[in-house]
Amino acid sequence: MTLSEVAGIAGSAGDFTVTVKEAPRYVDVNKCIACGACTEKCPKKVDSEYDAATGKRKAIYVKYAQAVPLKYQIDPNSCIRLKKPGACGFCETVCDAGAINFDDTEKIHEINVGAIVLAPGFEVYDPKDAGVWGYGTFPNVITSLQLERYLSASGPTEGHLVRPSDGKPVNKVAFLQCIGSRDENLCGNGYCSSVCCMYAIKEAVIAKDHVPGLGASIFYMDMRTHGKEFDQYMERAKEDAGVRFVRCRVNGVETDGDSDDLRLSYVNEAGRQVEEFYDLVVLSVGLQTPKHVLELADKADIKLTADNFAATSDFAPVQTSRQGIFTCGAFAGPKDIPQSVVEGSAAAAAVADLLAPARFELSTEASFPLEKDVSADEPRIGVFVCHCGSNIAGVVDVKAVEEYAATLPDVVYVERNLFSCSQDTQDMITKRIQEQNLNRIVIAACTPRTHEPLFRETLKSAGLNEYLVEMANIRNHNAWVHSAEPKAATSKANDLVRMAVAKVAYSNSLRPISVPISQKGLIIGGGVSGMTAALNMAEQGFEAHLVERTDTLGGNALHLKHTWSGEHVPTAVAKLIDKVVLHDKVIIHKEFEVTHVEGFVGNFKSTITGKDGSKKIIEHGAGIVATGAEPYIPTEYNYDSITRVVTSVQFDKLYELNEVHVKKAKNFVFIQCVGSREEDNMYCSKVCCTHSVQSAIALKKDNPGRNIYILYRDMRTYGQREALYREARKLGVIFINYELHGKPNVRENGQVIDVEVWDHVLHRPLILNADMVILATAIRPMGDASKLGALYKVPVDGDGFFQEAHAKLRPVDFSTDGMFVAGLAHYPKPIEESVAQALAASARAVTLLSKKEVSLDAIKATVDETHCDGCALCVDVCPYHAITLVEKKTDDGADAGKIILVNKAQCKGCGLCQGTCPKRGVYVAGFTMNQINAQIRAALAA
Amino acid sequence: MNFEPKIVAFCCNWCSYAAADLAGTARMQYPHNVRIVRVMCSGMVHPEFVMNALSQGADGVMILG
Amino acid sequence: MLDTKKVGSVMIVGGGVTGMQTALDLADSGYYVYLVEKSGAIGGAMAQLDKTFPTNDCSM
Repeated sequence: MTLSEVAGIAGSAGDFTVTVKEAPRYVDVNKCIACGACTEKCPKKVDSEYDAATGKRKAIYVKYAQAVPLKYQIDPNSCIRLKKPGACGFCETVCDAGAINFDDTEKIHEINVGAIVLAPGFEVYDPKDAGVWGYGTFPNVITSLQLERYLSASGPTEGHLVRPSDGKPVNKVAFLQCIGSRDENLCGNGYCSSVCCMYAIKEAVIAKDHVPGLGASIFYMDMRTHGKEFDQYMERAKEDAGVRFVRCRVNGVETDGDSDDLRLSYVNEAGRQVEEFYDLVVLSVGLQTPKHVLELADKADIKLTADNFAATSDFAPVQTSRQGIFTCGAFAGPKDIPQSVVEGSAAAAAVADLLAPARFELSTEASFPLEKDVSADEPRIGVFVCHCGSNIAGVVDVKAVEEYAATLPDVVYVERNLFSCSQDTQDMITKRIQEQNLNRIVIAACTPRTHEPLFRETLKSAGLNEYLVEMANIRNHNAWVHSAEPKAATSKANDLVRMAVAKVAYSNSLRPISVPISQKGLIIGGGVSGMTAALNMAEQGFEAHLVERTDTLGGNALHLKHTWSGEHVPTAVAKLIDKVVLHDKVIIHKEFEVTHVEGFVGNFKSTITGKDGSKKIIEHGAGIVATGAEPYIPTEYNYDSITRVVTSVQFDKLYELNEVHVKKAKNFVFIQCVGSREEDNMYCSKVCCTHSVQSAIALKKDNPGRNIYILYRDMRTYGQREALYREARKLGVIFINYELHGKPNVRENGQVIDVEVWDHVLHRPLILNADMVILATAIRPMGDASKLGALYKVPVDGDGFFQEAHAKLRPVDFSTDGMFVAGLAHYPKPIEESVAQALAASARAVTLLSKKEVSLDAIKATVDETHCDGCALCVDVCPYHAITLVEKKTDDGADAGKIILVNKAQCKGCGLCQGTCPKRGVYVAGFTMNQINAQIRAALAA
Repeated sequence: MNFEPKIVAFCCNWCSYAAADLAGTARMQYPHNVRIVRVMCSGMVHPEFVMNALSQGADGVMILG
Repeated sequence: MLDTKKVGSVMIVGGGVTGMQTALDLADSGYYVYLVEKSGAIGGAMAQLDKTFPTNDCSM
């Protein structure tokens, strides 16, 4: 439902009634075919929201070229006709489909749902409000979102980076960080937006790619690149791309005389006032909750944090303060794409937990008539040529194509349609298939990538096998790209139809492959992530086997005291353990490890071996790796020899016990990044900055007279954690920055510990006399992660953490189907992110487990037993390990050499085997050698 | 010179075929001499296809993936 | 909680990358999903981005 907003929510968890207000689109989505004729004719131009006002759009428009639904809409605030009845109306005249409806009205829907998920997102901070950066005054000051549009090939300058003021090339660009973030004075947003450091680096790198020799500088307070592989990216930006990083806060942006150049002034690290000139200044704007979302929160009656984000618990990160209403994404705190996607899945898990009894109650499956067997029949091909309004017919002589198609071999029926994809044409095609007894269909229209599924359904409803259709792409590959050459386009359309006809004549009925699923899950690792995933899966009604190597559940969380927001970890973990232990669908295997794995998605068979040598075999449809991580044991800073140099986890214990050294100590020095962000461990451990700041606050609160120093490289109290950093500074905790090449020096000096660090302000070494030194040590991947990885064919990355399928869009999936990852095994992260990822892994696993069987596309490798001689060339090239070599037997059981066997569940139909086979022993159904050869022949026949 | 070459292009369904679709959406104009054969992966293109195309009169073959 | 009515459908407010992920996962596991989006098309902020880290591949 687009153009729709929630107007009210009544009822309670399990049974809500939501009032949804749908604004008029003034375009009938069932009729609009997105040809764009209306936009071309529309005389009214306004700033495009999509292009962040860098480009223009019309009053009738589509949000962006790849929008879903790809349907036009009229903006009532700028449309001439809607503002003045009787005026304009050009769009209505040119719309062949008759989709324009100026009388469209607002609709109110009352919808009954069991749960509500709020994922309304964010808006970027508008820097106009503050007035100090010249945004809105100087044309060459733009926001980072505007730069995204300028860099985009689909943006207003088609990816050419030029100055907005005069179109001159850009030679020097400056990025100013923390615009609308970490700044209570100018914008009121005290929190860190978490994403701007990373996107600024990315934009700088890409801008330098676009403009060779471009000078790019990033002015920042702390570089917060705490995400997976982010620090490596920053190092590459610095070393390879030559992006310059300057730690300072820029005082202001001025123009330089009459030119449009911009002058920045700032105080550098040496304390000197500096002026620099730039062609373009990019403001790295932060994220904030928009006003309409605050209103939504009010309607939903949920609590917000002081920073105006949805309030959640660290142990239930997607649950709002109101039962049955969940949240995810940037509304639950500023965050990047992968974390948002994780939370999206996590919210699905939380909803499914609540609504498990009602699963499949309202979802429906379509039914189709019995399929006709046409395998023995001669081909009777029907060709349907689509006009696509004027999209095809405006260029291609469709009548000529129709006449030509009728002359092709095996073609018995040809027809033209205004819109082949419309519902009435679908019904008509169904009727023609039955009337004319057609057994192969060619649709000459648009691209099979979007429309083949639709026409397959049409064939199914006509009782014909869905794989007996072939599309000739005479729109995207022809009419649209040869619009100035109608004659050539018509002749090419003939060729494309001929190729499709030639191919479809060789098509066979294919059956989607159905694989039964074992509706159980296996979770490896009994820490917070593993337990959360197992519990959620069990609450959803699926048996969850939890395998833990040690004799205790709880994992690393057993060593933690408080989450960043102050929740008591031991209480929450104890509760979680209780729930897991008591749940009859969670089966716990303590002191067991996975030692052998067979099978594939839906049908894994994992052998687990106990400490006592006993073995169990668990069949499961999906698996979750939640094996956690280990603490780094430091060798630096004389940790071995000085007893009062401790790690943060050790310190927590001493502090809690009120140990005498801690109690008496006056001077504490925290050293950050011990074992993180250096050499072979170029990653951020993500939790240590916040941990040290929390400890420092506690120490200061106990006794304000204490001196507390935190030696850091970049303070990474990201998101709403920034409030802690602010509090620590207010309490008088002293933060001293050090660089990797000037690490602090720690040595024992009688009763005290001398910590020597370079003072950037005074430009000389500074010696701190500490009673206690606390090392914020790194989180290390499990040493044997790759061993487990090899069993399930899931990879680990260069740092030793498990590697997800896609950094942005599939952050909990492995590239191996049916396997998922959660928690520290994936990357260092705080508890709420582990919990979210665990819930997400459970949700993703349940998308499989909730089905009794998986249906897979029939486009799969198939063995031709008469030609395959078992040479096994294809076995090695198969990227999915779907092919194995087996013994061949004759009918009477005698040995007949070797032959290959394709596991259809693992095969993705890529056809590397077919391309490799020298003997035609294996082919991909739907793309056989005969089919493709026929297409080639037909392509060159004219 | 009126020579119009015939080019057969094997395009992977997941990338280059999708790119050719997008070229259409963006209304980019290009010469009409190319005939696209959709495959599920460029790795599916058997050497025989290339030979057949060339021997049957193609002036060029592109494999895009 | 057992005797209270539970409806097997869910409303998701927001058609960005987060809301879409929730919608897909729930629809894939047997629930009827209403996806409510304020603007004329789904996609949210990610659709505005040119390229994304780490591979700098297109965000579409």
